Amino acid sequence: MTDQEINDEIRDANLNYLMLAQQIIRCDMAIAMYRLGITKEIAELIVGLSSLQILKLSSSPSMLSRFRFDDSVILDMLTNYTKDYSLAQMHTSIIMASQTAESLS
Amino acid sequence: MPSNHIKPIIKKSLVSESEQIQLAIEMINLGARLQLLESQTSLSRERLISLYKELRGMSPPKGMLPFSTDWFLTWQPNIHSSIFFNIYIFMVKYAEVTGIQALIKAYKLYLQQVNQENVDEATLSMTRAWTLVRFVDSNMLKMHACSSCLGHFIVDSLDLNHAYVCNLCCVPSRAGKTKKLKEAHLNIMSASA
Repeated sequence: MTDQEINDEIRDANLNYLMLAQQIIRCDMAIAMYRLGITKEIAELIVGLSSLQILKLSSSPSMLSRFRFDDSVILDMLTNYTKDYSLAQMHTSIIMASQTAESLS
Repeated sequence: MPSNHIKPIIKKSLVSESEQIQLAIEMINLGARLQLLESQTSLSRERLISLYKELRGMSPPKGMLPFSTDWFLTWQPNIHSSIFFNIYIFMVKYAEVTGIQALIKAYKLYLQQVNQENVDEATLSMTRAWTLVRFVDSNMLKMHACSSCLGHFIVDSLDLNHAYVCNLCCVPSRAGKTKKLKEAHLNIMSASA
């Protein structure tokens, strides 16, 4: 992958992310905040962005959204579930919810 | 945390009545039982029963609601209630939704998280979710962080939770191996053979 290609892909992902975020916030603010893991202020800001603002914001060559797991130990544990896939998913849900609450406070 | 079980005082008006009916419809579709509907809407029992029959095509189940905290502490229900309650806390604390709306939104998100589209098959029913909220409000159950994964889980307030390890970090032997699952597995095996 060349540098130019990587830049284009990242811009694309940014644009997709912002547009999706806007749509789900418009559906239901509270539910969107949980799914995106963002605060009310950010949610209100994103939903108020115009198309031009979204385009400008997404054209940055670095990702706008960041990884939700800060703890490598937990991430390692979750990805190394060998037995039951649905258990891994539920465990992830709980930890993600607990962490979101902590990081937002 | 705001309590959920205080009946809201609502003036008689057509608009508020239609809102109440909408709320009742939403809750019935999510599988709420009559006791929950009665406590959260200002509609009469007769109207709620006829609404229930119209939506579900059958009479609402009779009898008392389950009232034991133990159910929430058994293996699979504990995982499901912990997922729900984490979301509920988020709704109340950060999304600033309160009362029955927080319960409805959290319950919808819970259904999404556990991939259950049919509300009647969900491990944690809407009515149980409401019971859970009341148990936590009355300090019978509480949330506690697992000492291994740091996720928050529902535990008994009076248990010794000093070095609590959650049901997912330390899965009990034979947990989740139900008859139903075994049959489903056998069906797949025989179908592919």
